[in-house]
Amino acid sequence: MLSLQHISKYYQVGGNKNYVINDISLNVDEGEFVSIMGPSGSGKSTLLNIIGMLDEPTNGYHYFVDQPVHQLKEKQRSALYKQYIGFVFQAYHLIDELTVAENIETPLIYQDVKGSERKAMVADMLDRFQIVGKKDLFPAQLSGGQQQLVGIARALIAKPKLILADEPTGNLNSKQGEEIMELFRKLNKEDGVTIIQVTHSEKNAEYGSRIINLLDGKIESIKNL
Amino acid sequence: MIRNYLKTAWRNLLGNKTTSFISMAGLAVGISCFLLLATYLVNELRYDTFHKNAGNIVRVAYKYQSPDDKEPRELAVTPTATVHVYKQQFSEIEDGVRIFNYSGNGQVTVSYGDKLFAEKQMLTADGSFFKIFSFNFLEGNAQNALSDPSSIVISSSAAKKYFGNEDPMGKVLKLNSDKNLTVTGVIEDVPSYSQIKFDMIANSAIDPGTKDLRWSSASNYSYLLLKPGTNRQALAKKMDAFIANIMKGEGRKGTTQYLLESLTKVHLYSKALYSLDTPGNLNNIYTLGVVAVILLLLACVNFLNLVTARSAERGKEIGVRKVMGAVRGQLFVQFIIEAAIITLVSLLIGVFILYLALPGFSTFTGQELSLHTWNASWLIGALIGLFVLVSFLAGTYPSLYLSAFKPIATLKGTSTTQPGGNLLRKSLVVFQFVVSVFFIISTLIAGNQLKFMQTVDTGINRDQVIVMDIGGLPYNKIEAFKNDLKQQSGIVASTASYDSPVNVRGGYSINAVDGKPTDYSLSVTAIPIEKDFVKTLGIKLLSGGDFNLSDEKAVQDTAYGKRKYSFILNETAVKAMGWKPEEAVGKRIGLNGRVGFIKAVAKDFNFASLHEEITPIVMFAEYDWFGKLLIKASAKNMQQTVTALQSKWKAFYPNKPFEYHFLDEEYEELYKADLRTGGILKAFTAVTIFISCLGLFGLAVFSTRLRTKEIGIRKVLGAGVTNIAALVSFDFIKLVIIAVIIASPLAYYVMHKWLQDFAFKVEIQWWIFALSAAFAVFIALATVSYQSVKAALTNPIKTLRSE
Repeated sequence: MLSLQHISKYYQVGGNKNYVINDISLNVDEGEFVSIMGPSGSGKSTLLNIIGMLDEPTNGYHYFVDQPVHQLKEKQRSALYKQYIGFVFQAYHLIDELTVAENIETPLIYQDVKGSERKAMVADMLDRFQIVGKKDLFPAQLSGGQQQLVGIARALIAKPKLILADEPTGNLNSKQGEEIMELFRKLNKEDGVTIIQVTHSEKNAEYGSRIINLLDGKIESIKNL
Repeated sequence: MIRNYLKTAWRNLLGNKTTSFISMAGLAVGISCFLLLATYLVNELRYDTFHKNAGNIVRVAYKYQSPDDKEPRELAVTPTATVHVYKQQFSEIEDGVRIFNYSGNGQVTVSYGDKLFAEKQMLTADGSFFKIFSFNFLEGNAQNALSDPSSIVISSSAAKKYFGNEDPMGKVLKLNSDKNLTVTGVIEDVPSYSQIKFDMIANSAIDPGTKDLRWSSASNYSYLLLKPGTNRQALAKKMDAFIANIMKGEGRKGTTQYLLESLTKVHLYSKALYSLDTPGNLNNIYTLGVVAVILLLLACVNFLNLVTARSAERGKEIGVRKVMGAVRGQLFVQFIIEAAIITLVSLLIGVFILYLALPGFSTFTGQELSLHTWNASWLIGALIGLFVLVSFLAGTYPSLYLSAFKPIATLKGTSTTQPGGNLLRKSLVVFQFVVSVFFIISTLIAGNQLKFMQTVDTGINRDQVIVMDIGGLPYNKIEAFKNDLKQQSGIVASTASYDSPVNVRGGYSINAVDGKPTDYSLSVTAIPIEKDFVKTLGIKLLSGGDFNLSDEKAVQDTAYGKRKYSFILNETAVKAMGWKPEEAVGKRIGLNGRVGFIKAVAKDFNFASLHEEITPIVMFAEYDWFGKLLIKASAKNMQQTVTALQSKWKAFYPNKPFEYHFLDEEYEELYKADLRTGGILKAFTAVTIFISCLGLFGLAVFSTRLRTKEIGIRKVLGAGVTNIAALVSFDFIKLVIIAVIIASPLAYYVMHKWLQDFAFKVEIQWWIFALSAAFAVFIALATVSYQSVKAALTNPIKTLRSE
C-alpha cells in the first residue's frame, strides 16, 4: 500500500543538521495494523504526518498506492489523501461550531458528494456507531470517548483505505481507550481497513499486527505479532 | 457546501458575541458615517437639478474691473437691463427672468387681517419665472400665476401661516401696509437644495427699482433659458462685445464681462459674490469625501484586525478542514462568505443608524437630508457597491491569511496561532491611531481658535446689545423711540446704523483729501451711523470727539451739496493716508461726493469676520437710512427689559412685528461655517477614537494570546501581575506613540493651513500635541488594560499545560 525509502527529515540548526527522521525505510501492506512506538521526540508523529502527506520529508522516496508522492504537487497530494486516508487525532479535533452529524459530514463536502447521498452516508455511520441520539449535539456536550467515536466516524465516512491515528486514546481513560482499540481491531479485521497508529501504550500497541519502535528518528526494532 | 459555510459562519458569530459585536459595531458605525457624508454630498450634487430646464438655464454673473481696481470683481447681481435687452438682442435666448431679493434689504412686513409677520424670504421676479423654473404648484398654475402685476405666489408653509385651513387663492396680502397683493398660486415648499429659495414671490412690478432698464448699477439676479444646443462660449463672446459698446456709449471706463454659469454648477463652482443662496464649498466637498473614505477604511481595517485576531480559535477548525480534504480555495470562499455576512448585518445596522442620525445631521447642516435625498436606485446601487467593496476590503486579507494555515501546526497544539502578518496588523493599528490623533489635535486646535474668536476683544462691546432690523424706518420715528427708551430702566444706550457693526459691507472711496493730489483715491469700507453709535458699542476714540447733535443737523439738508459731513476714521485709515491720529482730526476729506471733516480717530476694531484683516473704515453721520437699531441693555433682568421693549414697540409701531436678536448672534453668524467645521471635527474625532479603540482591543486580544506561553513562563519565574500588565501594555503604547509621532506634523501642517484663513488666529501651542498624545495613550491603555490584566491573572498551569 505504501512504501517509504530512505526518508529523512532534518532542521538546519546553526551548522548542524538536527534529524527528526533519519533514513527510515518502511513498507506497509494493505490490511496491516501497524503500531508506532517510541519515547518523546523519537519522531513518531512526524513519521505519521509524512505518511499522511501533511508534512514533507527533506529527502527520500515516498510511494503511496503506487504513486510517487515525493513528485506530486500539493493539490495532487491533497486529492490523493482525500480519497484514501482518514485521520484520527489525540485531541479529537472536532469543529466546535458543527453538530455531531455535521462534523461527520464534513469530509464528504470536500469530496463533492451530493447532499442526499451525504445524508444517507451520515445516517449509516451514526447507526453503525450507535450515536443516532447524539447527532444534533455539539462536541462540547459529549464526553471524551464519545468525541473520539465521532472523530473515528468522521475519519471513516469517506471509506478510506488507510486510517492514521495519532495517539487516539491519549486523552481518554483506560476503559474508553479499550473501546476505541476494540473498534480499530474490528475495522481492521472485518472491513480490511489498513491502520497505522502512534501510541505510547504497550497494551494498545499490541492490538496491531506489527510494532515499530523508533528512537532518535531511526527504527530501533520491529516486532511482528 | 454553501449551507455548511453559512452555518459555521452564523454559529461563529453567535458563539463569539463580544468579538462579533465589536467587529460589527465598528463596521456599522463606519458605514453609517460614510453614508451620512455621502448623503450630504449627494445633496450638494443634486442642487438645482430638479428643474426640467436645468440643462438649459444659465445664471448671468457680472465681472467688472474699474481702472483703479487691482482685480476684477465677480458679482452674482446684474444690471436691470440685462435680461430684457439680451433677450431681444440674442436669438439664442429663449426666455429670461430677473429676480430681486425683496427682503434682502431689511425686512418686509406682510399682513393678512390681524396676522402680521416679518417675511425674510421674499423675492420679486418677472412673470416668466415659473415658465423657466419648475416649482410644484399645489394651486394655481405655472403659466400665468405671476403674470399679473399684483399677483403673489406663496409656499404651502406660508399659506398655512397666514390662512390656516382657508383656501389661500384669491386672498389679499398686505405688503408693508401699502401694497395689496392677490395670492394667485401656492407651491410646495422650495427644497433646501435650490439656490432660489423663497416663501413668497411677487411680480417685479412692485419694485420701482426694477422698472427702468439701466446698465449702471447691479442689483438683480438674471437667469436665462437658452435654446437647446446653444454654444455658450460664442454667446458670451457676443455679449462681451455688445456690453463693451454700451459701456463706451455711456462713457464709462473699465471692463465688463458677462459670464454664463450653468444653473446646476452655480452652487458649487461659482465664485461670484452676493449669490441668492449661501454657496457651497467645493473644497469642503473634497475634504468630506476624503474623510468619508478614511472612516470607511478605518472600519474595514478594524474588522480585518479582529478577524485575524481570532485566528487562534479558528486555527484548529482550519487545520481539521484541511485534513478533511478542503483546499485553500474552498476555505477562502468560506471566510469571504463569513466576512460578507458580517458586512451585510453591519450594513443593515449602519443604514438604521443613518436613518436615526439623519434628522440631527439635517439640523446641523441646515440641509434637508433624508433617505429620500437619494434616488432609490442610486441608494440600492450604493449599498450593493458598499457591500461588495467592504466584504472585499475587509474579507480578502483575513481569508487569505486564515486559509494559508498549515494544518499540522494548528493541530499539534504547540501553537494555536500563526505569527505571520503581525507587522501588518500593527501597522494597521498605527494607521488607525494616526487618524485618531490627527483628529484629536485638529479638534483641539480648531476648538482653541473658535474659543478665541468668541472671547477675543474685537474693539466692539457686543455684550447685551439687542438688535432690531428696522429696514429704513424714518429717522424721526427712530429718534422718538430712542427718546422713549431713555425712560426705560435696564436700557443703557441705543443707536442706529446702516448695517450690522460686526459685518459692515459698504464699499466706498475717499478722495478730495487735504494735501493730496486731486486724483487721490483710497478704497474704504464705510457705514452711515447715528450719533450714539460709538458710545453704545464702546468703540474707543484715540483723538477727537464723538458725533453730537450738531453733526446731525449739518447733514439734515436733503440736497447733498449743502450738507457738511463729519467722519470718524479708524487708525488704519488715517495711517493709510500718512497721518498720526492727532494730526488727522480736522482734516478735510470726501467720501463718494460727501465732503466734510474728520472729527475723530477710533482705535481699530473688527467690523468684519476675524478671517479678514482690519482695513480702513469710515463711519459718517448720515441720517437717511438705517437698517439696524442697536439697544444696549444692562446685564440684569434681561427678560424684563425685552418685555418692556416689546410693549413700547407695539405702541409705537403696531404695523411692524417686534422681532429682535442679539449682536452676539450676528457675530456668531459670521462663524457659522467655522462652528460647523468644529462640530463636524468633534463628531468624527469621537467616531475615529471609537473605531480605533475597537481595533486596538482586537490586537490586544490577539497578541496576549500569542504571548500566553511567555506570560505563563514569566509568572512561573515570579513576575507579578503589575509586571505582566505593564509588559503587555507597553507594546501597545509604543504603537500609539509611533502614531502620535506620525500624526503630529500632519495635523500641524493641515491646521496651520486652516488657520491661514483667519487674519486673527491663535498660535498652535505645543501643549496641544502633548495633551493629544497623553489622551491617545490614556484611551489606548484603557482599551488594552482589560486584556493585559486578564492575561496577567491567568493561571500559568492552564497556559503551559498544552505543551
